[in-house]
Amino acid sequence: MKKIAVLALLSCIAFGALSAQSIKVLLWDDPLTKIIQSNIPDFEKATGYKVEVEMVAPPQVLPKTAVGVTSTSSDYDVVPMDEGNIPVFASLMSPYDSLPDGKVFKKTPKESVTPAMLDVGIWDGKLIAFPINGNIYVWFTRQDMVDNPKYKAEFKAKYGYDLTVPATFKQLEEEAAYFTSIGIGGFGPFNGGPAGVVAEAVYMWESFGTSFINWVGGKPKVVLDEAKAVMGMEFYKKLMTLSPKGSETWAHNERIAAFCADPKGVFTQFHWPSYIASYENPDKSLVSGKITYSAPPGGPAKRVAIRGAWAVGVPLAAKNKAGAAEFVYWWTSKAISQKVVEGNAIPARTEVLQDPAYAKNMPWLAAIADSMKYAVARPRLKEMPQIQDVVKKYWIMGITGQMPTVDAIRNITKETNDIIAKAAY
Amino acid sequence: MTSSRKPPIKQGVEARADGGAHPSLTRKSGKGREGAPLLFLIPALVVVFAVLLFPIGFSLYVSTFNWPLSEGMGPRVFVGLGNYGALFTDAEFWNSLKLQLGFVFVALPVELLLGFGAALLLNREFFGARVVRTLLLLPVFFLPVLSGITWRFMLQPRYGPLSQVLVSLGIPETSWLGNPGWAYAAVLMQDIWRMWPFMFMLLYAGLTSIPNELLEAAEIDGAGYWKRIRIVITPLLTPTIMTALLLRLIDALRIFSEVFTMTEGGPGSATLLFSLYTNKQAFTYMKVGMASAMAIFLLVLSVVFAATLVRKNMSLDVLERKAGNR
Repeated sequence: MKKIAVLALLSCIAFGALSAQSIKVLLWDDPLTKIIQSNIPDFEKATGYKVEVEMVAPPQVLPKTAVGVTSTSSDYDVVPMDEGNIPVFASLMSPYDSLPDGKVFKKTPKESVTPAMLDVGIWDGKLIAFPINGNIYVWFTRQDMVDNPKYKAEFKAKYGYDLTVPATFKQLEEEAAYFTSIGIGGFGPFNGGPAGVVAEAVYMWESFGTSFINWVGGKPKVVLDEAKAVMGMEFYKKLMTLSPKGSETWAHNERIAAFCADPKGVFTQFHWPSYIASYENPDKSLVSGKITYSAPPGGPAKRVAIRGAWAVGVPLAAKNKAGAAEFVYWWTSKAISQKVVEGNAIPARTEVLQDPAYAKNMPWLAAIADSMKYAVARPRLKEMPQIQDVVKKYWIMGITGQMPTVDAIRNITKETNDIIAKAAY
Repeated sequence: MTSSRKPPIKQGVEARADGGAHPSLTRKSGKGREGAPLLFLIPALVVVFAVLLFPIGFSLYVSTFNWPLSEGMGPRVFVGLGNYGALFTDAEFWNSLKLQLGFVFVALPVELLLGFGAALLLNREFFGARVVRTLLLLPVFFLPVLSGITWRFMLQPRYGPLSQVLVSLGIPETSWLGNPGWAYAAVLMQDIWRMWPFMFMLLYAGLTSIPNELLEAAEIDGAGYWKRIRIVITPLLTPTIMTALLLRLIDALRIFSEVFTMTEGGPGSATLLFSLYTNKQAFTYMKVGMASAMAIFLLVLSVVFAATLVRKNMSLDVLERKAGNR
């Protein structure tokens, strides 16, 4: 009996020692995380930690984290969070300031990212996850179409000014109208997942001068100005008439296909920088090297770029906090951020985004840095998944003419208020 | 004529060639062996409990709680039948139920008619019959996820092949999946295209098992083709039809992946079938209690459907009565 007890004790000690030497990391499948994954052997060599990666499709990160991370146990030592889910997991994460210093890699200074990006990982005044990608609206325009002498001349004759990359809503509308009139898709809308549709809605509303939900006295409150919100929706409705048929259901894949694989697909549209690799891959894209990147066109009230970045955090109940912290510092270090940029993905680290050494060959970096000046976040509250569905439902009905835009806005306001009231803040 | 009768086997005692009981087994007779059947049933009972009874019981338990998927969403709170009450006042719940039932009552009859028609047509030998019958089955082997994605792309107005075919037939370019009515019709079409061969497969197998003598006798008695279908083939095929319907019903009530990849329930909630809404409650809204209440509701609905089908059409009494009526 004694022998069995000793054996069990030794096994526990051995298992504990092994656990202390390994970390389990949850990743979402994306060009950026693939770069991180390919560099993990360097991290293992430098630190002696063994990294076990679980890579899942982006929509699976939420349920995996929800089920796998509690206040008392965690299946993962490092978890990524889309910025919209920060409120859900904030109470289960170790504040960044409380993480132990690294033995090999220095704790990444918060100043290494712009305040607008650092805000991604902050909840209740505490940084609970460190931003790791610079995902913000960037505008993609077909420079080869802008430079086409025939198009240039025709456009100027019709509208009285030069055809350029759209910088205002007026330019966007007129240029899209011109290209639609000659059989080219003028604009590429996003009508896919609810989170993306909310991004488009918030982009329009903020551009026309109204926010959607604000925190007032510690409680979320719908602050949508009906008249301005209707104007925003009406403008998008107009853009829908200048978009290719079928774009009422376009998600990312369809938009990439239309822009990259169809020479007459789309003239101009936003996309997240994390997709730039797909647009600039000459094996898959007909428009590689022919795109101009810029900050999104500005509306009547202001210029806006919607933010949608990811951040990484260490759960309170992580089994190997020291190793997890080391991994976060390594991931957000300058050296790894450089490797991310070199792999055509976008880190959050400002100095790398603005590095002149990359600017020449990667023109989108300057556009991202420019967009960050106009960063606006979508509302963040735990009930956002339900609110997103409400917005998507009525937004699509409004912009496709299935419902008057004013009714759509009223329904969004009413049903969002109902959800917030039920949540009883 | 010779006959060799074996000695009768005594209960609880294995018979030997010489008619006597094996001495080692005689001791186990009587009360000591009464528990044996139960012992043999235990593995099956354990499996049934683990994969059926426990999940149902646990779902029922969870459905009485406000049970967030993540601890970060708040604590678990007992709400009794509160989730069921909330469901019945939720317009989206009724919408998803209506769409689901519509799906069942439109797709299944159409699949049945197509499958029955094809089975009748192909229940004869001709050159290439086997190849034709095999090729007809191909859509059934499509993964539902792939089927949904393929249909999504086929129906895209600008570059979808199916859309182009429709345009070449003079139908105006339409955003099929962008319009609520057409999107629902497209989801139905996708399912009918993929699953009617399943009906064909079962009904064809049923048809081939009908004795030719019966059909010939009916023909001699003056029954024409349609009458033979009505009074001979259809009654004899009824158990097969009911089995096929029951299997498809089970499948149709839990349809998910093909609709999810094709429309994600949209536009708006136009194709948000019951299973999609249940998934949304659990993994988007993180309300596991509500999702469990929906799952229990679906379970009850399935049992009612299945029991009705089985009791009214597949019980021995009914089958014997039908056979007697012939």
